[in-house]
Amino acid sequence: MKDFFRNNGVLLLIIAVLLSLIVAVTSALLGGFADPFSNLLGILSTPIRNGINSVVGWTEDRYQALFRQSELEAEYEQLKKDYAELEQTLREAQQAIDENERLRNLLGLKEERPDLEFAEATVTAVGSTNWDSTLTLGQGSSSGLAAGQAVIDEYGNLVGLIDEVGTNWSRVMTIIDSDLELGGLVARTDSAALLEGNFELMGQGKLRLSYLPENSEFMTGDQVLTSGLSGLYPAGLVVGHIEEVRTDPSGMTRYAVVAPEADLQNLRQVFVITSFASTQ
Amino acid sequence: MTRHDFLVKWGVYALALLPIWFLEAYLLPHFPILGVKPVLLPLATVAAAVLEGAAGGAGFGLGVGLLSCFLYPDANGGFVLLFALMGLAAGLLTQYVLRQDFWGCLLCSALALGVLDAVRILSRFFFRAEALYPMLRLAGMELWISLLFTPLVYALFLWVFRRVPKRTHF
Repeated sequence: MKDFFRNNGVLLLIIAVLLSLIVAVTSALLGGFADPFSNLLGILSTPIRNGINSVVGWTEDRYQALFRQSELEAEYEQLKKDYAELEQTLREAQQAIDENERLRNLLGLKEERPDLEFAEATVTAVGSTNWDSTLTLGQGSSSGLAAGQAVIDEYGNLVGLIDEVGTNWSRVMTIIDSDLELGGLVARTDSAALLEGNFELMGQGKLRLSYLPENSEFMTGDQVLTSGLSGLYPAGLVVGHIEEVRTDPSGMTRYAVVAPEADLQNLRQVFVITSFASTQ
Repeated sequence: MTRHDFLVKWGVYALALLPIWFLEAYLLPHFPILGVKPVLLPLATVAAAVLEGAAGGAGFGLGVGLLSCFLYPDANGGFVLLFALMGLAAGLLTQYVLRQDFWGCLLCSALALGVLDAVRILSRFFFRAEALYPMLRLAGMELWISLLFTPLVYALFLWVFRRVPKRTHF
Protein backbone atom coordinates (compact mmCIF):
# COMPACT_ATOMS: atom_id res chain seq x y z
CA MET A 1 0.00 0.00 0.00
CA LYS A 2 2.88 2.28 0.96
CA ASP A 3 4.55 1.42 -2.37
CA PHE A 4 1.38 2.12 -4.29
CA PHE A 5 1.31 5.71 -3.12
CA ARG A 6 5.07 6.04 -3.64
CA ASN A 7 4.87 4.68 -7.20
CA ASN A 8 1.62 6.42 -8.20
CA GLY A 9 1.83 9.62 -6.14
CA VAL A 10 2.20 11.89 -9.14
CA LEU A 11 -0.67 10.13 -10.92
CA LEU A 12 -2.88 10.57 -7.90
CA LEU A 13 -1.98 14.22 -7.68
CA ILE A 14 -2.87 14.68 -11.32
CA ILE A 15 -6.20 12.90 -10.78
CA ALA A 16 -6.92 15.11 -7.77
CA VAL A 17 -6.15 18.25 -9.72
CA LEU A 18 -8.32 17.03 -12.60
CA LEU A 19 -11.18 16.18 -10.25
CA SER A 20 -10.99 19.53 -8.55
CA LEU A 21 -10.98 21.21 -11.93
CA ILE A 22 -14.03 19.19 -13.02
CA VAL A 23 -15.84 20.09 -9.77
CA ALA A 24 -14.92 23.74 -10.08
CA VAL A 25 -15.92 23.91 -13.73
CA THR A 26 -19.22 22.04 -13.27
CA SER A 27 -20.04 24.17 -10.23
CA ALA A 28 -19.44 27.26 -12.25
CA LEU A 29 -21.42 25.92 -15.19
CA LEU A 30 -24.38 24.70 -13.12
CA GLY A 31 -24.74 28.12 -11.44
CA GLY A 32 -25.69 27.36 -7.84
CA PHE A 33 -26.74 23.75 -8.25
CA ALA A 34 -24.46 21.31 -6.40
CA ASP A 35 -21.77 19.64 -8.43
CA PRO A 36 -22.34 15.95 -9.16
CA PHE A 37 -19.93 14.72 -6.52
CA SER A 38 -21.29 16.90 -3.76
CA ASN A 39 -24.79 16.05 -4.86
CA LEU A 40 -24.02 12.33 -4.78
CA LEU A 41 -22.45 12.69 -1.35
CA GLY A 42 -25.40 14.69 -0.15
CA ILE A 43 -27.86 12.14 -1.47
CA LEU A 44 -26.02 9.33 0.22
CA SER A 45 -25.45 11.15 3.50
CA THR A 46 -28.90 12.67 3.95
CA PRO A 47 -30.58 9.56 5.43
CA ILE A 48 -27.61 9.09 7.73
CA ARG A 49 -27.72 12.74 8.77
CA ASN A 50 -31.45 12.51 9.35
CA GLY A 51 -30.99 9.41 11.44
CA ILE A 52 -28.25 11.03 13.49
CA ASN A 53 -30.40 14.14 13.92
CA SER A 54 -33.31 12.05 15.15
CA VAL A 55 -31.12 10.22 17.61
CA VAL A 56 -29.66 13.51 18.85
CA GLY A 57 -33.15 15.00 19.14
CA TRP A 58 -34.44 12.00 21.04
CA THR A 59 -31.43 12.10 23.35
CA GLU A 60 -32.00 15.82 23.98
CA ASP A 61 -35.65 15.18 24.77
CA ARG A 62 -34.73 12.41 27.20
CA TYR A 63 -32.12 14.65 28.75
CA GLN A 64 -34.65 17.41 29.20
CA ALA A 65 -37.20 14.97 30.56
CA LEU A 66 -34.65 13.57 33.01
CA PHE A 67 -32.74 16.63 34.06
CA ARG A 68 -35.08 19.55 33.30
CA GLN A 69 -38.41 18.13 34.47
CA SER A 70 -38.31 19.92 37.80
CA GLU A 71 -37.22 23.08 36.03
CA LEU A 72 -40.12 22.75 33.58
CA GLU A 73 -42.57 22.05 36.38
CA ALA A 74 -41.38 25.17 38.18
CA GLU A 75 -41.74 27.10 34.94
CA TYR A 76 -45.27 25.71 34.49
CA GLU A 77 -46.22 26.69 38.04
CA GLN A 78 -44.84 30.17 37.47
CA LEU A 79 -46.82 30.44 34.24
CA LYS A 80 -49.95 29.35 36.05
CA LYS A 81 -49.35 32.03 38.67
CA ASP A 82 -48.70 34.61 35.97
CA TYR A 83 -51.91 33.56 34.23
CA ALA A 84 -53.91 33.87 37.44
CA GLU A 85 -52.41 37.30 38.07
CA LEU A 86 -53.26 38.37 34.53
CA GLU A 87 -56.81 37.12 34.97
CA GLN A 88 -57.07 39.09 38.23
CA THR A 89 -55.73 42.18 36.49
CA LEU A 90 -58.26 41.67 33.72
CA ARG A 91 -61.10 41.39 36.23
CA GLU A 92 -59.94 44.54 38.00
CA ALA A 93 -59.65 46.32 34.68
CA GLN A 94 -63.20 45.25 33.79
CA GLN A 95 -64.45 46.53 37.14
CA ALA A 96 -62.61 49.80 36.56
CA ILE A 97 -64.17 50.08 33.10
CA ASP A 98 -67.65 49.46 34.56
CA GLU A 99 -67.06 52.00 37.32
CA ASN A 100 -65.73 54.45 34.80
CA GLU A 101 -68.88 54.08 32.75
CA ARG A 102 -71.08 54.61 35.80
CA LEU A 103 -69.13 57.70 36.76
CA ARG A 104 -69.33 59.05 33.22
CA ASN A 105 -73.10 58.61 33.32
CA LEU A 106 -73.16 60.34 36.69
CA LEU A 107 -71.07 63.17 35.30
CA GLY A 108 -73.74 63.66 32.64
CA LEU A 109 -76.37 63.69 35.37
CA LYS A 110 -74.34 66.19 37.39
CA GLU A 111 -74.25 68.51 34.40
CA GLU A 112 -77.97 68.08 33.91
CA ARG A 113 -78.79 68.55 37.58
CA PRO A 114 -76.31 70.94 39.17
CA ASP A 115 -78.73 71.38 42.09
CA LEU A 116 -77.97 67.88 43.37
CA GLU A 117 -74.99 66.72 45.41
CA PHE A 118 -74.10 63.04 45.44
CA ALA A 119 -72.23 60.56 47.58
CA GLU A 120 -71.13 57.31 45.99
CA ALA A 121 -72.16 54.08 47.74
CA THR A 122 -71.72 50.37 47.11
CA VAL A 123 -74.55 47.88 47.39
CA THR A 124 -73.27 45.17 49.73
CA ALA A 125 -76.40 43.05 50.16
CA VAL A 126 -79.96 42.70 48.98
CA GLY A 127 -82.76 42.25 51.51
CA SER A 128 -83.12 38.71 52.79
CA THR A 129 -86.81 38.73 53.68
CA ASN A 130 -89.79 38.34 51.39
CA TRP A 131 -91.75 40.95 53.36
CA ASP A 132 -89.68 44.01 52.53
CA SER A 133 -87.61 45.21 49.62
CA THR A 134 -84.34 46.60 50.89
CA LEU A 135 -80.70 47.03 49.93
CA THR A 136 -77.76 47.41 52.27
CA LEU A 137 -75.08 49.95 51.40
CA GLY A 138 -71.47 49.82 52.50
CA GLN A 139 -71.47 53.48 53.55
CA GLY A 140 -73.17 55.13 56.50
CA SER A 141 -73.22 58.23 58.65
CA SER A 142 -69.43 58.48 58.51
CA SER A 143 -69.79 59.12 54.76
CA GLY A 144 -72.42 61.78 55.28
CA LEU A 145 -75.46 59.58 54.68
CA ALA A 146 -78.64 60.16 56.66
CA ALA A 147 -82.09 58.62 56.90
CA GLY A 148 -84.56 59.97 54.35
CA GLN A 149 -82.01 60.73 51.64
CA ALA A 150 -82.92 59.65 48.12
CA VAL A 151 -80.82 56.99 46.39
CA ILE A 152 -80.44 56.91 42.62
CA ASP A 153 -78.60 54.83 40.03
CA GLU A 154 -76.05 56.30 37.64
CA TYR A 155 -78.77 57.34 35.18
CA GLY A 156 -80.63 59.34 37.80
CA ASN A 157 -83.42 56.79 38.25
CA LEU A 158 -84.77 56.65 41.79
CA VAL A 159 -83.77 53.46 43.63
CA GLY A 160 -85.25 54.20 47.04
CA LEU A 161 -84.85 56.13 50.24
CA ILE A 162 -82.43 55.56 53.09
CA ASP A 163 -84.41 54.01 55.91
CA GLU A 164 -81.79 53.30 58.55
CA VAL A 165 -78.19 54.43 58.94
CA GLY A 166 -75.28 52.90 60.83
CA THR A 167 -71.74 54.22 61.12
CA ASN A 168 -70.47 52.42 58.03
CA TRP A 169 -73.64 50.90 56.59
CA SER A 170 -77.14 51.99 55.70
CA ARG A 171 -80.34 50.30 54.66
CA VAL A 172 -82.30 51.53 51.66
CA MET A 173 -86.03 50.98 51.36
CA THR A 174 -86.49 50.53 47.61
CA ILE A 175 -89.28 52.21 45.72
CA ILE A 176 -91.27 48.96 45.54
CA ASP A 177 -91.26 48.39 49.32
CA SER A 178 -94.80 48.34 50.69
CA ASP A 179 -93.87 51.01 53.28
CA LEU A 180 -92.86 53.59 50.71
CA GLU A 181 -94.94 56.71 50.07
CA LEU A 182 -93.80 59.79 48.15
CA GLY A 183 -95.15 62.39 45.79
CA GLY A 184 -95.20 61.44 42.12
CA LEU A 185 -95.78 63.34 38.93
CA VAL A 186 -96.78 62.08 35.48
CA ALA A 187 -94.40 63.95 33.19
CA ARG A 188 -96.65 64.13 30.10
CA THR A 189 -99.76 65.43 31.82
CA ASP A 190 -98.03 67.15 34.74
CA SER A 191 -100.51 65.42 37.06
CA ALA A 192 -99.49 64.98 40.68
CA ALA A 193 -100.35 61.73 42.49
CA LEU A 194 -99.05 59.53 45.26
CA LEU A 195 -96.42 56.87 44.65
CA GLU A 196 -96.81 54.03 47.11
CA GLY A 197 -95.51 50.54 47.55
CA ASN A 198 -98.01 47.73 47.52
CA PHE A 199 -97.47 44.29 49.00
CA GLU A 200 -98.90 42.38 46.04
CA LEU A 201 -97.08 44.49 43.45
CA MET A 202 -93.82 44.30 45.43
CA GLY A 203 -93.59 40.61 44.56
CA GLN A 204 -93.77 41.58 40.89
CA GLY A 205 -91.17 44.32 41.31
CA LYS A 206 -93.65 47.17 40.77
CA LEU A 207 -95.40 49.95 42.71
CA ARG A 208 -98.58 51.92 42.36
CA LEU A 209 -99.46 55.52 41.59
CA SER A 210 -102.60 56.29 43.58
CA TYR A 211 -105.03 59.20 43.84
CA LEU A 212 -104.90 59.89 40.10
CA PRO A 213 -106.72 63.07 39.10
CA GLU A 214 -110.12 62.21 37.64
CA ASN A 215 -109.87 64.44 34.59
CA SER A 216 -106.49 63.19 33.41
CA GLU A 217 -105.89 60.46 30.85
CA PHE A 218 -102.85 58.26 31.24
CA MET A 219 -101.12 56.11 28.68
CA THR A 220 -98.94 53.06 28.96
CA GLY A 221 -95.33 54.24 28.95
CA ASP A 222 -96.01 57.63 30.57
CA GLN A 223 -92.96 58.56 32.59
CA VAL A 224 -93.43 59.04 36.32
CA LEU A 225 -91.15 61.41 38.23
CA THR A 226 -90.84 62.53 41.82
CA SER A 227 -92.90 65.65 42.40
CA GLY A 228 -90.69 67.05 45.16
CA LEU A 229 -93.76 68.82 46.56
CA SER A 230 -93.04 67.73 50.12
CA GLY A 231 -89.59 69.27 49.97
CA LEU A 232 -88.20 66.09 51.49
CA TYR A 233 -86.98 64.64 48.18
CA PRO A 234 -85.72 66.31 45.00
CA ALA A 235 -88.19 66.85 42.17
CA GLY A 236 -87.77 65.36 38.70
CA LEU A 237 -86.11 62.07 39.55
CA VAL A 238 -87.27 59.31 37.23
CA VAL A 239 -89.21 56.64 39.13
CA GLY A 240 -90.55 54.52 36.27
CA HIS A 241 -93.23 54.33 33.64
CA ILE A 242 -96.92 53.51 33.75
CA GLU A 243 -97.61 49.93 32.77
CA GLU A 244 -101.37 49.93 33.12
CA VAL A 245 -104.17 51.85 34.74
CA ARG A 246 -106.56 49.89 36.96
CA THR A 247 -109.72 50.67 38.84
CA ASP A 248 -109.81 50.10 42.58
CA PRO A 249 -111.93 47.11 43.75
CA SER A 250 -114.39 49.69 45.12
CA GLY A 251 -114.78 51.02 41.57
CA MET A 252 -114.46 54.57 42.85
CA THR A 253 -110.84 55.42 42.13
CA ARG A 254 -108.15 54.54 39.65
CA TYR A 255 -104.54 53.75 40.18
CA ALA A 256 -101.64 53.09 37.83
CA VAL A 257 -99.17 50.25 38.05
CA VAL A 258 -95.67 51.68 37.70
CA ALA A 259 -92.66 49.65 36.59
CA PRO A 260 -89.44 51.08 38.07
CA GLU A 261 -86.81 52.35 35.67
CA ALA A 262 -83.92 51.33 37.94
CA ASP A 263 -82.84 47.69 37.75
CA LEU A 264 -83.33 47.00 41.46
CA GLN A 265 -82.12 43.39 41.30
CA ASN A 266 -78.71 44.04 39.78
CA LEU A 267 -77.45 47.22 41.38
CA ARG A 268 -73.82 47.30 42.46
CA GLN A 269 -73.17 50.98 42.87
CA VAL A 270 -75.64 53.74 43.70
CA PHE A 271 -75.50 57.45 44.45
CA VAL A 272 -77.07 59.07 47.48
CA ILE A 273 -78.38 62.61 47.07
CA THR A 274 -76.91 64.30 50.11
CA SER A 275 -78.28 67.76 49.34
CA PHE A 276 -80.54 69.41 46.79
CA ALA A 277 -82.23 72.72 46.11
CA SER A 278 -85.81 72.41 47.29
CA THR A 279 -88.58 73.49 44.92
CA GLN A 280 -90.70 74.63 47.85
CA MET B 1 -71.26 22.38 83.88
CA THR B 2 -68.48 24.88 84.55
CA ARG B 3 -68.47 28.38 83.16
CA HIS B 4 -65.72 27.34 80.76
CA ASP B 5 -67.82 24.42 79.45
CA PHE B 6 -70.79 26.72 79.08
CA LEU B 7 -68.84 29.29 77.08
CA VAL B 8 -67.20 26.69 74.85
CA LYS B 9 -70.49 24.96 74.13
CA TRP B 10 -72.47 28.04 73.20
CA GLY B 11 -69.49 29.45 71.38
CA VAL B 12 -69.54 26.38 69.14
CA TYR B 13 -73.30 26.78 68.62
CA ALA B 14 -72.73 30.44 67.71
CA LEU B 15 -70.11 29.35 65.19
CA ALA B 16 -72.58 26.87 63.71
CA LEU B 17 -75.02 29.74 63.30
CA LEU B 18 -72.57 31.68 61.13
CA PRO B 19 -72.95 29.60 57.94
CA ILE B 20 -76.75 29.65 58.39
CA TRP B 21 -76.70 33.42 58.72
CA PHE B 22 -74.35 33.79 55.76
CA LEU B 23 -76.58 31.55 53.66
CA GLU B 24 -79.75 33.44 54.54
CA ALA B 25 -78.33 36.96 54.43
CA TYR B 26 -75.93 36.88 51.53
CA LEU B 27 -76.33 33.82 49.34
CA LEU B 28 -79.97 32.76 49.11
CA PRO B 29 -81.36 36.28 48.42
CA HIS B 30 -79.59 36.08 45.07
CA PHE B 31 -81.14 32.71 44.24
CA PRO B 32 -84.77 32.79 45.37
CA ILE B 33 -86.64 29.52 44.96
CA LEU B 34 -89.87 30.07 43.00
CA GLY B 35 -89.39 33.76 43.77
CA VAL B 36 -89.24 33.16 47.51
CA LYS B 37 -86.21 33.61 49.78
CA PRO B 38 -85.97 30.85 52.41
CA VAL B 39 -85.97 31.81 56.10
CA LEU B 40 -83.36 29.89 58.10
CA LEU B 41 -82.91 31.63 61.47
CA PRO B 42 -86.13 30.18 63.00
CA LEU B 43 -84.99 26.73 61.84
CA ALA B 44 -81.67 27.20 63.63
CA THR B 45 -83.44 28.27 66.83
CA VAL B 46 -85.73 25.24 66.72
CA ALA B 47 -82.90 22.80 65.92
CA ALA B 48 -80.87 24.03 68.92
CA ALA B 49 -83.97 23.90 71.13
CA VAL B 50 -84.84 20.35 70.09
CA LEU B 51 -81.34 19.16 70.92
CA GLU B 52 -80.65 21.27 74.01
CA GLY B 53 -84.09 21.52 75.58
CA ALA B 54 -86.29 24.43 76.63
CA ALA B 55 -83.80 26.50 78.62
CA GLY B 56 -81.00 26.16 76.08
CA GLY B 57 -83.45 26.80 73.24
CA ALA B 58 -84.76 29.96 74.88
CA GLY B 59 -81.24 31.27 75.42
CA PHE B 60 -80.16 30.44 71.90
CA GLY B 61 -83.39 31.97 70.57
CA LEU B 62 -82.57 35.17 72.40
CA GLY B 63 -79.24 35.39 70.61
CA VAL B 64 -80.76 34.56 67.22
CA GLY B 65 -83.47 37.15 67.89
CA LEU B 66 -80.79 39.82 68.33
CA LEU B 67 -79.25 38.75 65.03
CA SER B 68 -82.66 38.82 63.33
CA CYS B 69 -83.07 42.48 64.34
CA PHE B 70 -80.17 43.28 62.06
CA LEU B 71 -81.24 40.92 59.30
CA TYR B 72 -84.99 41.57 59.10
CA PRO B 73 -85.97 45.22 58.62
CA ASP B 74 -89.39 44.60 60.18
CA ALA B 75 -87.99 42.79 63.24
CA ASN B 76 -87.79 45.67 65.75
CA GLY B 77 -87.19 44.52 69.31
CA GLY B 78 -90.16 42.19 69.33
CA PHE B 79 -88.34 39.49 67.42
CA VAL B 80 -85.87 39.00 70.30
CA LEU B 81 -88.75 37.94 72.53
CA LEU B 82 -90.43 36.01 69.71
CA PHE B 83 -87.33 33.96 68.95
CA ALA B 84 -86.70 33.28 72.64
CA LEU B 85 -90.29 32.06 73.02
CA MET B 86 -89.89 30.00 69.86
CA GLY B 87 -86.84 28.26 71.37
CA LEU B 88 -88.59 27.74 74.69
CA ALA B 89 -91.73 26.31 73.09
CA ALA B 90 -89.81 24.03 70.70
CA GLY B 91 -87.73 22.74 73.61
CA LEU B 92 -90.78 22.04 75.77
CA LEU B 93 -92.78 20.49 72.93
CA THR B 94 -90.04 18.07 71.93
CA GLN B 95 -89.18 17.26 75.56
CA TYR B 96 -92.70 16.48 76.71
CA VAL B 97 -95.01 16.03 73.72
CA LEU B 98 -93.02 15.18 70.60
CA ARG B 99 -89.67 13.48 70.18
CA GLN B 100 -86.21 15.04 70.25
CA ASP B 101 -85.39 13.97 66.72
CA PHE B 102 -85.56 15.24 63.15
CA TRP B 103 -89.34 14.79 62.86
CA GLY B 104 -89.92 16.72 66.06
CA CYS B 105 -87.63 19.43 64.69
CA LEU B 106 -89.49 19.50 61.36
CA LEU B 107 -92.87 19.89 63.04
CA CYS B 108 -91.61 22.57 65.44
CA SER B 109 -89.92 24.39 62.54
CA ALA B 110 -93.22 24.48 60.66
CA LEU B 111 -94.93 25.86 63.76
CA ALA B 112 -92.19 28.44 64.33
CA LEU B 113 -92.32 29.65 60.72
CA GLY B 114 -96.10 29.76 60.94
CA VAL B 115 -95.99 31.86 64.11
CA LEU B 116 -93.40 34.22 62.63
CA ASP B 117 -95.47 34.76 59.49
CA ALA B 118 -98.68 35.07 61.51
CA VAL B 119 -97.09 37.91 63.50
CA ARG B 120 -96.05 39.61 60.28
CA ILE B 121 -99.42 39.14 58.62
CA LEU B 122 -101.41 40.38 61.63
CA SER B 123 -99.25 43.47 62.09
CA ARG B 124 -99.48 44.34 58.40
CA PHE B 125 -103.17 43.59 58.24
CA PHE B 126 -104.09 45.72 61.24
CA PHE B 127 -101.51 48.51 61.09
CA ARG B 128 -100.97 48.92 57.36
CA ALA B 129 -104.24 47.57 55.98
CA GLU B 130 -102.44 45.27 53.53
CA ALA B 131 -104.52 42.78 51.55
CA LEU B 132 -104.73 39.44 53.37
CA TYR B 133 -104.66 37.01 50.44
CA PRO B 134 -101.24 37.94 48.95
CA MET B 135 -99.71 37.78 52.43
CA LEU B 136 -101.19 34.33 53.12
CA ARG B 137 -99.98 33.08 49.76
CA LEU B 138 -96.47 34.36 50.43
CA ALA B 139 -96.46 32.91 53.95
CA GLY B 140 -97.47 29.50 52.61
CA MET B 141 -94.76 29.50 49.96
CA GLU B 142 -92.17 30.74 52.43
CA LEU B 143 -93.08 28.02 54.92
CA TRP B 144 -92.75 25.16 52.45
CA ILE B 145 -89.60 26.42 50.82
CA SER B 146 -87.92 27.16 54.16
CA LEU B 147 -88.80 23.70 55.47
CA LEU B 148 -86.75 22.21 52.63
CA PHE B 149 -83.69 23.45 54.51
CA THR B 150 -84.62 21.76 57.80
CA PRO B 151 -82.51 18.62 57.13
CA LEU B 152 -79.45 20.75 56.44
CA VAL B 153 -79.88 22.95 59.53
CA TYR B 154 -80.77 20.02 61.80
CA ALA B 155 -77.80 17.98 60.54
CA LEU B 156 -75.43 20.87 61.25
CA PHE B 157 -76.70 21.36 64.81
CA LEU B 158 -76.80 17.61 65.46
CA TRP B 159 -73.16 17.46 64.40
CA VAL B 160 -72.36 20.22 66.90
CA PHE B 161 -74.48 18.57 69.64
CA ARG B 162 -72.57 15.30 69.26
CA ARG B 163 -69.24 17.07 69.53
CA VAL B 164 -69.83 19.29 72.57
CA PRO B 165 -68.97 17.49 75.85
CA LYS B 166 -71.80 15.21 77.05
CA ARG B 167 -71.70 16.67 80.57
CA THR B 168 -72.86 19.98 79.09
CA HIS B 169 -76.12 18.51 77.71
CA PHE B 170 -79.24 19.67 79.50
